[in-house]
Amino acid sequence: MIGAVETIGATRSLGTIDLLLRDREVMLARIRHGDDVGALVRTMVVTIAIAMAIVGAALGSYRGGLQIGYAAIKLPLVLLGTAALSAPALTAIGAALGRRSRLASDLALVMAALAFGALLLAACTPLILLGRALELSYHEMILATVVMFAIAGLASLRMIVHALSLEALRHGTRDGASQRTLASGTVGWRSAVAGLCVVFTLVGGQLAWALRPYLVRPRTPEVPFVRALEGSLFDAVTGAFRSARGIYTRDEAPLPESDR
Amino acid sequence: MSLVTAIPAPFPRGLGLTLAAAGPVALGAILAARAGTLTPLAGAPAIIFGVVAATSPALYIAIAATGEAPPLSKVARAFALALGAFGLALAGLVLPAAFLSLSSVSAVTTIAVVTAALGGAAVLALRRLATELATPDSSLTSSVIFIVWAAATLGIAGRLWIDLAREVMS
Repeated sequence: MIGAVETIGATRSLGTIDLLLRDREVMLARIRHGDDVGALVRTMVVTIAIAMAIVGAALGSYRGGLQIGYAAIKLPLVLLGTAALSAPALTAIGAALGRRSRLASDLALVMAALAFGALLLAACTPLILLGRALELSYHEMILATVVMFAIAGLASLRMIVHALSLEALRHGTRDGASQRTLASGTVGWRSAVAGLCVVFTLVGGQLAWALRPYLVRPRTPEVPFVRALEGSLFDAVTGAFRSARGIYTRDEAPLPESDR
Repeated sequence: MSLVTAIPAPFPRGLGLTLAAAGPVALGAILAARAGTLTPLAGAPAIIFGVVAATSPALYIAIAATGEAPPLSKVARAFALALGAFGLALAGLVLPAAFLSLSSVSAVTTIAVVTAALGGAAVLALRRLATELATPDSSLTSSVIFIVWAAATLGIAGRLWIDLAREVMS
Protein backbone atom coordinates (compact mmCIF):
# COMPACT_ATOMS: atom_id res chain seq x y z
CA MET A 1 0.00 0.00 0.00
CA ILE A 2 2.74 2.44 1.03
CA GLY A 3 4.74 1.42 -2.02
CA ALA A 4 1.77 2.18 -4.27
CA VAL A 5 1.38 5.66 -2.74
CA GLU A 6 5.09 6.35 -3.25
CA THR A 7 4.83 5.22 -6.88
CA ILE A 8 1.88 7.55 -7.49
CA GLY A 9 3.80 10.42 -5.85
CA ALA A 10 6.89 9.78 -7.98
CA THR A 11 4.78 9.58 -11.15
CA ARG A 12 3.05 12.84 -10.26
CA SER A 13 6.44 14.50 -9.65
CA LEU A 14 7.74 13.32 -13.01
CA GLY A 15 4.53 14.64 -14.58
CA THR A 16 5.17 18.04 -12.95
CA ILE A 17 8.73 18.12 -14.33
CA ASP A 18 7.43 17.15 -17.76
CA LEU A 19 4.87 19.95 -17.50
CA LEU A 20 7.65 22.40 -16.61
CA LEU A 21 9.59 21.42 -19.73
CA ARG A 22 6.69 21.09 -22.20
CA ASP A 23 3.91 23.45 -21.11
CA ARG A 24 5.02 26.23 -18.81
CA GLU A 25 1.78 28.19 -19.41
CA VAL A 26 -0.17 25.45 -17.61
CA MET A 27 2.49 25.34 -14.89
CA LEU A 28 2.23 29.11 -14.39
CA ALA A 29 -1.58 28.91 -14.26
CA ARG A 30 -1.28 26.23 -11.58
CA ILE A 31 1.01 28.46 -9.52
CA ARG A 32 -1.26 31.47 -10.06
CA HIS A 33 -4.30 29.57 -8.79
CA GLY A 34 -2.33 28.15 -5.87
CA ASP A 35 -3.12 24.52 -6.78
CA ASP A 36 -1.13 22.24 -4.46
CA VAL A 37 1.74 24.69 -4.24
CA GLY A 38 3.41 22.76 -1.40
CA ALA A 39 3.81 19.61 -3.52
CA LEU A 40 5.01 21.72 -6.43
CA VAL A 41 7.72 23.39 -4.32
CA ARG A 42 8.86 20.01 -2.97
CA THR A 43 9.14 18.61 -6.51
CA MET A 44 11.07 21.67 -7.65
CA VAL A 45 13.48 21.45 -4.70
CA VAL A 46 14.24 17.81 -5.50
CA THR A 47 14.58 18.65 -9.21
CA ILE A 48 17.04 21.45 -8.50
CA ALA A 49 19.02 19.26 -6.08
CA ILE A 50 19.37 16.38 -8.55
CA ALA A 51 19.96 18.48 -11.67
CA MET A 52 22.58 20.69 -10.00
CA ALA A 53 24.28 17.64 -8.46
CA ILE A 54 24.65 16.24 -11.99
CA VAL A 55 26.05 19.56 -13.24
CA GLY A 56 28.37 19.79 -10.22
CA ALA A 57 29.63 16.27 -10.78
CA ALA A 58 30.29 17.07 -14.45
CA LEU A 59 32.24 20.21 -13.49
CA GLY A 60 34.13 18.28 -10.81
CA SER A 61 35.09 15.63 -13.36
CA TYR A 62 37.44 18.18 -14.98
CA ARG A 63 39.79 17.52 -12.07
CA GLY A 64 38.31 14.14 -11.09
CA GLY A 65 38.52 12.24 -7.81
CA LEU A 66 37.00 13.76 -4.71
CA GLN A 67 36.14 17.00 -6.53
CA ILE A 68 33.30 15.19 -8.37
CA GLY A 69 31.52 14.54 -5.08
CA TYR A 70 32.41 17.91 -3.57
CA ALA A 71 31.01 19.92 -6.47
CA ALA A 72 27.94 17.65 -6.67
CA ILE A 73 27.14 18.51 -3.04
CA LYS A 74 27.98 22.21 -3.15
CA LEU A 75 26.27 23.36 -6.36
CA PRO A 76 22.72 22.35 -5.25
CA LEU A 77 23.38 24.05 -1.89
CA VAL A 78 24.31 27.28 -3.65
CA LEU A 79 21.16 27.43 -5.76
CA LEU A 80 18.72 26.28 -3.07
CA GLY A 81 20.28 28.53 -0.40
CA THR A 82 20.19 31.53 -2.72
CA ALA A 83 16.56 30.85 -3.61
CA ALA A 84 15.55 30.56 0.05
CA LEU A 85 17.24 33.86 0.94
CA SER A 86 16.14 35.78 -2.16
CA ALA A 87 12.58 34.68 -2.96
CA PRO A 88 10.98 36.65 -0.06
CA ALA A 89 12.42 39.83 -1.62
CA LEU A 90 10.13 39.36 -4.64
CA THR A 91 7.06 39.18 -2.40
CA ALA A 92 8.16 41.98 -0.07
CA ILE A 93 9.16 44.52 -2.72
CA GLY A 94 6.04 43.76 -4.78
CA ALA A 95 3.78 44.12 -1.74
CA ALA A 96 5.46 47.40 -0.79
CA LEU A 97 4.52 48.81 -4.21
CA GLY A 98 0.97 47.46 -4.13
CA ARG A 99 1.36 44.14 -5.93
CA ARG A 100 -1.00 41.43 -4.64
CA SER A 101 1.72 38.98 -3.84
CA ARG A 102 1.59 35.71 -1.90
CA LEU A 103 4.77 34.30 -0.46
CA ALA A 104 3.85 30.67 -1.25
CA SER A 105 3.02 31.39 -4.90
CA ASP A 106 6.09 33.58 -5.36
CA LEU A 107 8.30 30.92 -3.80
CA ALA A 108 6.77 28.30 -6.11
CA LEU A 109 7.35 30.57 -9.12
CA VAL A 110 11.00 31.23 -8.23
CA MET A 111 11.64 27.54 -7.51
CA ALA A 112 9.94 26.48 -10.77
CA ALA A 113 11.99 29.00 -12.76
CA LEU A 114 15.22 27.86 -11.08
CA ALA A 115 14.30 24.21 -11.64
CA PHE A 116 13.80 25.00 -15.33
CA GLY A 117 17.23 26.64 -15.44
CA ALA A 118 18.77 23.71 -13.55
CA LEU A 119 17.27 21.25 -16.03
CA LEU A 120 18.70 23.27 -18.94
CA LEU A 121 22.10 23.15 -17.24
CA ALA A 122 21.75 19.41 -16.73
CA ALA A 123 21.06 19.16 -20.47
CA CYS A 124 24.40 20.94 -21.03
CA THR A 125 26.46 18.37 -19.09
CA PRO A 126 27.43 16.45 -22.27
CA LEU A 127 29.08 19.68 -23.46
CA ILE A 128 31.03 19.92 -20.17
CA LEU A 129 32.13 16.31 -20.56
CA LEU A 130 33.03 17.00 -24.22
CA GLY A 131 35.24 19.88 -23.05
CA ARG A 132 36.97 17.48 -20.68
CA ALA A 133 37.37 14.89 -23.46
CA LEU A 134 38.85 17.51 -25.82
CA GLU A 135 41.15 18.65 -22.98
CA LEU A 136 40.05 22.27 -23.19
CA SER A 137 42.22 24.58 -21.12
CA TYR A 138 41.06 25.63 -17.64
CA HIS A 139 40.17 29.15 -18.79
CA GLU A 140 38.28 27.87 -21.84
CA MET A 141 36.29 25.60 -19.53
CA ILE A 142 35.55 28.54 -17.24
CA LEU A 143 34.27 30.61 -20.17
CA ALA A 144 32.15 27.73 -21.49
CA THR A 145 30.65 27.25 -18.00
CA VAL A 146 29.86 30.96 -17.68
CA VAL A 147 28.07 30.90 -21.06
CA MET A 148 25.99 27.84 -20.05
CA PHE A 149 25.03 29.35 -16.68
CA ALA A 150 24.17 32.66 -18.36
CA ILE A 151 21.81 30.93 -20.83
CA ALA A 152 20.13 28.98 -18.03
CA GLY A 153 19.87 32.11 -15.85
CA LEU A 154 18.28 34.13 -18.65
CA ALA A 155 15.76 31.33 -19.31
CA SER A 156 14.80 31.32 -15.62
CA LEU A 157 14.49 35.09 -15.53
CA ARG A 158 12.35 35.07 -18.67
CA MET A 159 9.94 32.63 -17.02
CA ILE A 160 9.58 34.87 -13.94
CA VAL A 161 9.11 38.03 -16.02
CA HIS A 162 6.51 36.29 -18.21
CA ALA A 163 4.57 35.03 -15.17
CA LEU A 164 4.49 38.40 -13.43
CA SER A 165 3.60 40.34 -16.59
CA LEU A 166 0.64 37.99 -17.12
CA GLU A 167 -0.40 38.49 -13.50
CA ALA A 168 -0.23 42.30 -13.76
CA LEU A 169 -2.24 42.26 -16.99
CA ARG A 170 -4.84 39.90 -15.51
CA HIS A 171 -5.34 41.96 -12.35
CA GLY A 172 -5.57 45.20 -14.28
CA THR A 173 -8.19 43.78 -16.65
CA ARG A 174 -10.21 41.98 -13.99
CA ASP A 175 -10.39 44.96 -11.65
CA GLY A 176 -11.24 47.40 -14.41
CA ALA A 177 -8.48 49.53 -12.95
CA SER A 178 -7.81 53.07 -14.01
CA GLN A 179 -4.82 53.70 -16.25
CA ARG A 180 -2.87 55.18 -13.34
CA THR A 181 -3.50 52.22 -11.06
CA LEU A 182 -2.68 49.80 -13.85
CA ALA A 183 0.54 51.68 -14.57
CA SER A 184 1.48 51.58 -10.87
CA GLY A 185 0.89 47.85 -10.73
CA THR A 186 2.96 47.33 -13.86
CA VAL A 187 5.84 49.38 -12.43
CA GLY A 188 5.45 47.46 -9.17
CA TRP A 189 6.07 44.04 -10.65
CA ARG A 190 9.00 45.30 -12.70
CA SER A 191 10.58 46.78 -9.59
CA ALA A 192 9.96 43.51 -7.74
CA VAL A 193 11.74 41.53 -10.48
CA ALA A 194 14.59 44.06 -10.56
CA GLY A 195 14.90 43.81 -6.77
CA LEU A 196 14.87 40.02 -6.94
CA CYS A 197 17.63 40.10 -9.59
CA VAL A 198 19.82 42.39 -7.47
CA VAL A 199 19.34 40.36 -4.27
CA PHE A 200 19.72 37.05 -6.12
CA THR A 201 22.95 38.20 -7.82
CA LEU A 202 24.49 39.47 -4.57
CA VAL A 203 23.47 36.50 -2.41
CA GLY A 204 24.18 33.92 -5.13
CA GLY A 205 27.57 35.46 -5.90
CA GLN A 206 28.55 35.51 -2.24
CA LEU A 207 27.28 31.99 -1.49
CA ALA A 208 28.97 30.58 -4.59
CA TRP A 209 32.15 32.44 -3.59
CA ALA A 210 32.01 31.06 -0.04
CA LEU A 211 31.57 27.46 -1.24
CA ARG A 212 34.11 27.54 -4.09
CA PRO A 213 35.93 25.75 -5.79
CA TYR A 214 33.79 23.85 -8.30
CA LEU A 215 35.96 23.71 -11.41
CA VAL A 216 39.55 22.82 -10.48
CA ARG A 217 42.65 22.39 -12.66
CA PRO A 218 43.44 18.69 -13.29
CA ARG A 219 47.02 19.10 -11.96
CA THR A 220 45.83 20.43 -8.58
CA PRO A 221 47.27 17.95 -6.03
CA GLU A 222 44.65 18.35 -3.29
CA VAL A 223 41.27 20.05 -3.25
CA PRO A 224 39.53 21.38 -0.14
CA PHE A 225 35.75 21.00 0.30
CA VAL A 226 35.60 24.77 0.77
CA ARG A 227 38.37 27.34 0.93
CA ALA A 228 39.03 29.27 4.12
CA LEU A 229 36.87 32.40 4.54
CA GLU A 230 38.97 35.10 2.89
CA GLY A 231 36.33 37.79 2.80
CA SER A 232 33.36 38.39 0.55
CA LEU A 233 33.15 38.49 -3.22
CA PHE A 234 32.84 42.27 -2.83
CA ASP A 235 36.14 42.30 -0.88
CA ALA A 236 37.82 40.22 -3.61
CA VAL A 237 36.55 42.50 -6.40
CA THR A 238 37.71 45.56 -4.44
CA GLY A 239 41.11 43.91 -3.89
CA ALA A 240 41.41 43.07 -7.60
CA PHE A 241 40.69 46.70 -8.54
CA ARG A 242 43.34 47.89 -6.06
CA SER A 243 45.88 45.38 -7.42
CA ALA A 244 45.09 46.48 -10.98
CA ARG A 245 45.98 50.04 -9.92
CA GLY A 246 49.28 48.81 -8.47
CA ILE A 247 48.17 48.98 -4.82
CA TYR A 248 49.17 45.73 -3.09
CA THR A 249 48.50 44.70 0.50
CA ARG A 250 51.23 42.00 0.51
CA ASP A 251 54.75 41.81 -0.92
CA GLU A 252 54.13 38.80 -3.17
CA ALA A 253 51.62 36.03 -3.84
CA PRO A 254 52.16 32.94 -1.64
CA LEU A 255 54.04 30.02 -3.26
CA PRO A 256 52.98 26.36 -3.08
CA GLU A 257 54.86 24.31 -0.47
CA SER A 258 56.82 22.40 -3.18
CA ASP A 259 58.26 25.62 -4.71
CA ARG A 260 59.52 27.14 -1.45
CA MET B 1 -12.35 63.98 -2.15
CA SER B 2 -12.30 60.24 -1.75
CA LEU B 3 -10.05 58.74 0.87
CA VAL B 4 -9.60 55.56 -1.15
CA THR B 5 -5.89 54.84 -1.70
CA ALA B 6 -4.41 54.88 -5.20
CA ILE B 7 -3.34 51.24 -4.89
CA PRO B 8 -5.26 48.85 -2.64
CA ALA B 9 -2.95 47.80 0.20
CA PRO B 10 -2.16 44.07 -0.21
CA PHE B 11 -1.29 43.84 3.50
CA PRO B 12 -2.86 44.83 6.83
CA ARG B 13 -1.67 48.32 7.70
CA GLY B 14 -0.83 47.24 11.25
CA LEU B 15 1.49 44.56 9.91
CA GLY B 16 3.29 47.05 7.71
CA LEU B 17 3.80 49.52 10.56
CA THR B 18 5.01 46.74 12.87
CA LEU B 19 7.52 45.68 10.24
CA ALA B 20 8.50 49.34 9.74
CA ALA B 21 9.41 49.45 13.43
CA ALA B 22 11.09 46.04 13.53
CA GLY B 23 12.99 46.26 10.22
CA PRO B 24 15.38 49.09 11.17
CA VAL B 25 16.01 47.39 14.54
CA ALA B 26 16.95 44.17 12.71
CA LEU B 27 19.29 46.01 10.33
CA GLY B 28 20.70 47.94 13.26
CA ALA B 29 21.34 44.58 14.94
CA ILE B 30 23.40 43.44 11.92
CA LEU B 31 25.58 46.53 12.26
CA ALA B 32 25.66 46.13 16.05
CA ALA B 33 26.86 42.52 15.72
CA ARG B 34 29.78 43.67 13.58
CA ALA B 35 30.62 46.73 15.68
CA GLY B 36 30.19 45.06 19.07
CA THR B 37 28.03 47.89 20.42
CA LEU B 38 24.27 48.20 20.90
CA THR B 39 23.99 51.80 19.66
CA PRO B 40 22.73 50.97 16.13
CA LEU B 41 19.82 48.96 17.59
CA ALA B 42 18.19 52.18 18.75
CA GLY B 43 20.00 54.49 16.35
CA ALA B 44 18.58 53.08 13.11
CA PRO B 45 14.86 53.39 14.00
CA ALA B 46 15.50 56.73 15.72
CA ILE B 47 17.02 58.17 12.54
CA ILE B 48 14.24 56.89 10.28
CA PHE B 49 11.24 57.85 12.39
CA GLY B 50 12.91 61.05 13.62
CA VAL B 51 13.69 62.32 10.13
CA VAL B 52 10.23 61.40 8.78
CA ALA B 53 8.55 63.12 11.74
CA ALA B 54 10.71 66.20 11.30
CA THR B 55 10.31 66.59 7.53
CA SER B 56 6.77 65.36 6.78
CA PRO B 57 5.02 68.58 7.93
CA ALA B 58 7.19 70.50 5.49
CA LEU B 59 5.88 68.40 2.59
CA TYR B 60 2.26 69.01 3.57
CA ILE B 61 2.81 72.75 3.98
CA ALA B 62 4.64 73.05 0.65
CA ILE B 63 2.01 71.10 -1.32
CA ALA B 64 -0.83 72.91 0.44
CA ALA B 65 0.77 76.22 -0.53
CA THR B 66 0.44 75.22 -4.19
CA GLY B 67 -3.26 74.62 -3.65
CA GLU B 68 -3.07 70.95 -4.62
CA ALA B 69 -2.74 69.26 -1.25
CA PRO B 70 -5.10 66.37 -0.51
CA PRO B 71 -6.92 66.52 2.87
CA LEU B 72 -4.71 66.10 5.93
CA SER B 73 -6.31 62.71 6.68
CA LYS B 74 -5.34 61.43 3.22
CA VAL B 75 -1.78 62.69 3.64
CA ALA B 76 -1.53 60.94 7.03
CA ARG B 77 -2.92 57.76 5.49
CA ALA B 78 -0.42 58.02 2.62
CA PHE B 79 2.46 58.33 5.09
CA ALA B 80 1.18 55.32 7.05
CA LEU B 81 1.01 53.26 3.83
CA ALA B 82 4.47 54.40 2.78
CA LEU B 83 5.90 53.44 6.18
CA GLY B 84 4.16 50.07 5.85
CA ALA B 85 5.73 49.64 2.41
CA PHE B 86 9.10 50.51 3.94
CA GLY B 87 8.63 47.81 6.59
CA LEU B 88 7.51 45.20 4.06
CA ALA B 89 10.43 45.90 1.75
CA LEU B 90 12.85 45.64 4.68
CA ALA B 91 11.29 42.32 5.71
CA GLY B 92 12.35 40.90 2.36
CA LEU B 93 15.84 42.39 2.52
CA VAL B 94 16.84 41.60 6.12
CA LEU B 95 17.79 37.94 5.50
CA PRO B 96 19.96 38.59 2.43
CA ALA B 97 21.62 41.53 4.21
CA ALA B 98 22.33 39.42 7.29
CA PHE B 99 23.83 36.65 5.15
CA LEU B 100 26.01 39.01 3.12
CA SER B 101 27.25 40.75 6.26
CA LEU B 102 27.93 37.64 8.34
CA SER B 103 29.74 35.85 5.50
CA SER B 104 32.12 38.77 5.03
CA VAL B 105 35.23 39.62 7.04
CA SER B 106 35.19 43.30 6.10
CA ALA B 107 33.33 45.96 8.10
CA VAL B 108 32.96 48.02 4.91
CA THR B 109 30.84 45.24 3.39
CA THR B 110 28.53 45.27 6.42
CA ILE B 111 28.05 49.03 6.19
CA ALA B 112 27.52 48.87 2.41
CA VAL B 113 24.99 46.03 2.62
CA VAL B 114 22.95 47.50 5.49
CA THR B 115 22.99 50.96 3.89
CA ALA B 116 21.85 49.50 0.56
CA ALA B 117 18.98 47.63 2.23
CA LEU B 118 17.79 50.71 4.13
CA GLY B 119 18.26 52.96 1.07
CA GLY B 120 16.46 50.57 -1.25
CA ALA B 121 13.50 50.23 1.10
CA ALA B 122 13.39 54.00 1.56
CA VAL B 123 13.28 54.60 -2.20
CA LEU B 124 10.43 52.08 -2.57
CA ALA B 125 8.56 53.79 0.27
CA LEU B 126 9.01 57.20 -1.36
CA ARG B 127 7.65 55.84 -4.62
CA ARG B 128 4.63 54.48 -2.78
CA LEU B 129 4.14 57.84 -1.06
CA ALA B 130 4.31 59.66 -4.40
CA THR B 131 1.67 57.32 -5.84
CA GLU B 132 -0.62 57.77 -2.84
CA LEU B 133 -0.34 61.56 -2.82
CA ALA B 134 -0.78 62.00 -6.58
CA THR B 135 -4.08 63.44 -7.74
CA PRO B 136 -5.46 63.46 -11.32
CA ASP B 137 -4.75 67.21 -11.52
CA SER B 138 -1.26 67.14 -9.99
CA SER B 139 0.94 69.83 -11.50
CA LEU B 140 4.63 69.92 -12.30
CA THR B 141 5.13 72.22 -9.29
CA SER B 142 3.85 69.66 -6.79
CA SER B 143 6.00 66.96 -8.43
CA VAL B 144 9.08 69.18 -8.13
CA ILE B 145 8.21 69.90 -4.49
CA PHE B 146 7.92 66.20 -3.76
CA ILE B 147 11.25 65.41 -5.46
CA VAL B 148 13.04 68.18 -3.54
CA TRP B 149 11.47 67.03 -0.26
CA ALA B 150 12.39 63.38 -0.96
CA ALA B 151 15.99 64.30 -1.80
CA ALA B 152 16.28 66.40 1.37
CA THR B 153 14.78 63.66 3.55
CA LEU B 154 17.04 60.98 2.06
CA GLY B 155 20.04 63.30 2.36
CA ILE B 156 19.44 64.09 6.02
CA ALA B 157 18.74 60.45 6.96
CA GLY B 158 21.69 59.24 4.88
CA ARG B 159 24.10 61.69 6.51
CA LEU B 160 22.93 60.74 10.03
CA TRP B 161 23.18 57.03 9.17
CA ILE B 162 26.70 57.29 7.73
CA ASP B 163 27.81 59.30 10.80
CA LEU B 164 26.35 56.61 13.08
CA ALA B 165 28.00 53.79 11.11
CA ARG B 166 31.38 55.55 11.11
CA GLU B 167 31.15 56.25 14.83
CA VAL B 168 30.33 52.67 15.87
CA MET B 169 32.90 51.16 13.50
CA SER B 170 35.75 53.42 14.59
